[in-house]
Amino acid sequence: MTLPPFLADLIWTYQNVIVALGVNGLLALAMYVVLAAGQLSLGQAAFMGLGAYSSALLSLRLQLPFTAVLPLSVVAPVGFALLVGGPTLRLSGVYLAIATIGLGEVLRAVYLNVDVLGGALGLSGIPEAAPIWLIYLILAVALLLLWRVGRSHIGRAMEAMRVDAAAAAAMGVDVRRYRLGVLLASAALAGLAGALSAHATDFIGPNDYGFEPAVTILSFALLGGIGSPFGPVLGAWVLTLLPELLRGFADVRLVLNGVVIVLAVLFLPRGLLAWRMRRIAA
Amino acid sequence: MLPQQLANGLLLGATYALFALGFTLMFGVLRVINLTYGFYFTLGAFLALWLTRAGVGLVLALPAAAVGSGLVAVGIDALLLTRLRRARADELSYLMVTLGAVLALYAGMAALLGPDIRRLPPGTIDEAAILLGPIRVTAAQLLILGACAVLVAALAALLRATRLGLGIRALAENPDAAALMGMATGRMAALVSFLSGALAGAAGVLIGLNFNAIHPYMGESMMLRGFVVVIAGGLGSVAGAIIAGLLLGIIEVLTAGYLSSGLKEAVAFAILVLVLWTRPQGLFGRSAAVRA
Amino acid sequence: MRFLVMLAACLVLSTAAGAAEPVPVGLVAILSGPNAAYGTAIRAGAELALAEIDAGGGPKIALTVEDSGGTKDGAINAARKLIGRDHVAAIIGPTLSNEMFAMGPVANGRGVPTIGTSTTAAGITDIGPFIFRTALPEADVIPVTMARAVARGVKTIALLYASDDAFSKSGFDTMRAAAEQAGLKILTVESFASKDTDFSAQLTKIKALQPDAVGISALVEPVSGVLLQTRQLGFGPQTLFIGGNGANSPRLGQIAGAAADGLIVGSPWFVAKPDPLNQAFVAAFHARTGHDPDQFAAQAYDTMKILDEAIARAGSASPGAIRDALLRTDHHGVMGPFRFTDHRDPASAEGVVVLEMHGGAFRVAE
Repeated sequence: MTLPPFLADLIWTYQNVIVALGVNGLLALAMYVVLAAGQLSLGQAAFMGLGAYSSALLSLRLQLPFTAVLPLSVVAPVGFALLVGGPTLRLSGVYLAIATIGLGEVLRAVYLNVDVLGGALGLSGIPEAAPIWLIYLILAVALLLLWRVGRSHIGRAMEAMRVDAAAAAAMGVDVRRYRLGVLLASAALAGLAGALSAHATDFIGPNDYGFEPAVTILSFALLGGIGSPFGPVLGAWVLTLLPELLRGFADVRLVLNGVVIVLAVLFLPRGLLAWRMRRIAA
Repeated sequence: MLPQQLANGLLLGATYALFALGFTLMFGVLRVINLTYGFYFTLGAFLALWLTRAGVGLVLALPAAAVGSGLVAVGIDALLLTRLRRARADELSYLMVTLGAVLALYAGMAALLGPDIRRLPPGTIDEAAILLGPIRVTAAQLLILGACAVLVAALAALLRATRLGLGIRALAENPDAAALMGMATGRMAALVSFLSGALAGAAGVLIGLNFNAIHPYMGESMMLRGFVVVIAGGLGSVAGAIIAGLLLGIIEVLTAGYLSSGLKEAVAFAILVLVLWTRPQGLFGRSAAVRA
Repeated sequence: MRFLVMLAACLVLSTAAGAAEPVPVGLVAILSGPNAAYGTAIRAGAELALAEIDAGGGPKIALTVEDSGGTKDGAINAARKLIGRDHVAAIIGPTLSNEMFAMGPVANGRGVPTIGTSTTAAGITDIGPFIFRTALPEADVIPVTMARAVARGVKTIALLYASDDAFSKSGFDTMRAAAEQAGLKILTVESFASKDTDFSAQLTKIKALQPDAVGISALVEPVSGVLLQTRQLGFGPQTLFIGGNGANSPRLGQIAGAAADGLIVGSPWFVAKPDPLNQAFVAAFHARTGHDPDQFAAQAYDTMKILDEAIARAGSASPGAIRDALLRTDHHGVMGPFRFTDHRDPASAEGVVVLEMHGGAFRVAE
């Protein structure tokens, strides 16, 4: 496939932004899954880090092909979610939020202190094996799946949990199983996003998966609105493009970025995309 | 070495507790995760910086900076949150609005003033060390300990022993009921914003004085620890925030002093997670069933 | 016929004008966020050099400045824009080693020569054949400082560094190696996070071990914080503090004041260097900005001149030709004589002077 030179140049120029739009879309979906079930679980950055580091090690140390690395990249985040899921899922609201942030900070300390993981220098020379089309294919499949699931009885159970977990449990929803389920789905999505971004930019470092990225991922979903899986992806795209569009304003750029968020929430309280999915009758 | 390390831990913990005091009040009473809190901390430090540079003594600059930060907090609160309160928006909307606002505020401050680190004029406070047996402390550190104690006592007295405190507690318990009983909840909420903004400002002055580093992003770097302290202590619990703050400081210092300084944060956060696993509502928090 | 001659003349004129067209060059620097002070100094130094180039007779440069915000994504996006949209022939920057590790492979992959002016970490030029640096790597500077410490009778040392930032970690690795090579006994290694303000636990531990010297690798803000706290905790003048490249900034004196007195640091440049070229630079910089330049500004100033000379030698705006011409650099700038090694690092560390903090400012150490 050959593109006309000007188009190839354009794609090359904005390649990092195009990749970031896809990866951040996936992260927004990882956030959406838990928020849709009423769980303020902020471990997405940590799961992303586990996916990124484990996949980078598989590529760098074992020289596995990317077709093998990508599916394996969900193992570490999902395993970690299973390990901490039990006690963590008893928490709710901000307590859950800070516990998941805390787990992320513990992982960051591991990256910083373990020599094999490169410390603050991170890992570099990761093969650029993740093509753009694959990132968007995975994003599209994830969107489709979540949309279908959201319209099914599972989606209704999740919404019931979000509105009132105790009432949902009384109505026969197995709240614990659902909570673990959404956590695992979130971990898998974020892990994939981590592996894809690591193999699209060639270099990863421990500070990419700390507190600030965790908050940024949350803001993707909240800005877009969680009425449907499309809202968070839209939110991610707006927040990824905004700093790029405002580049050149230096510090004023960050001011405008913040003001846009404030105005969006104040005047579009249901998020940028207020449209909600219609459920299939049970 | 141990006595000095314990003193280090206590003093570091006191700075965490001081930072968390207004944060937990805001959290507990208004039930809002207000991320602009860190900005009032920065603002207090800068107000004190400008006042002391203009020749005002610390005795006057400290309360003035606190009042100034409190007033700004009331203004920002009215600007951002009135609309959300009226719309009875959920917790997450508050989180998002204040997140956007605080990003803009820090960046605006950095754009206006530059990101450089500043210090209060030398001589604002006596910098010589004070020897207490084997322990060395500075006047700024003692001031932080003292301020912590005084502010906690004053806050406890306000909440427990005055009509105003009764109103604040009623608001924390059940805002709807408080409004039905004829309380001016809007004015009460503004008052709480003022108090917590002022506490943030005072903390900014004292901590800026102690670490001698005043810059626009100083509040941001305290926020994560602030969260940990407020939540480990239990939302809205003043005593919990103090104890959690002191414990966090002591744990961090002892880990760095006797285990490994590289593990300082890991150990602190691991303990936080363990606390929440065993006590899901924090050390002094009430269970969700009571609050709901 | 007459028409054809005129047409030919026009063509000649237009190609001549084409040859004199300014060569597009990009600058990637941190201009926003908490580390904006570094990038602002770099831009000021580069722009001063550019103004002098414009006034002189050399090839003209059209400079496009892009902000990286201090993040690796920001640096990559900046480089991609400069290369893909502005078709720059060379890039100066980025500011931090971390950013270069992320951005370097992008520029190198497109064959655009990229010159780091402040990227001192180990392994920068290993990224690829188009990555240069004019910053002296820490590995060249720190051994000079260590040798001075040994000459002052230092036998034992404690090391302290910011473990969460690539620049500081890499500087620490170099410092540890240099200390071992100099035969110093390393009593302990302590770390902290770059945003920390409290270092009392680490410093109390270090003080109890009574080292002759303390080596610190971190950016200037935490270094200042550490020094201020050493005074609170009662470190006396008998302990020698040794800084890495991060401590080599006039801001150290502004933040830490007298607490920084006695710290020594190796530097490829210092503001009071008596060389007339340097004096002219400092005066011109002061006239332009109202304050003295720092090392970052000086390095960016020299780098812009080095690049301009390379463009003149290359005789074209082709990135490949400019890369080859850069390797033949023989420049005399405010940092002193400058050449590149075959591995695109600065060839000589002879110009390194050891500076000592005194009364809030650096002077040449005795």
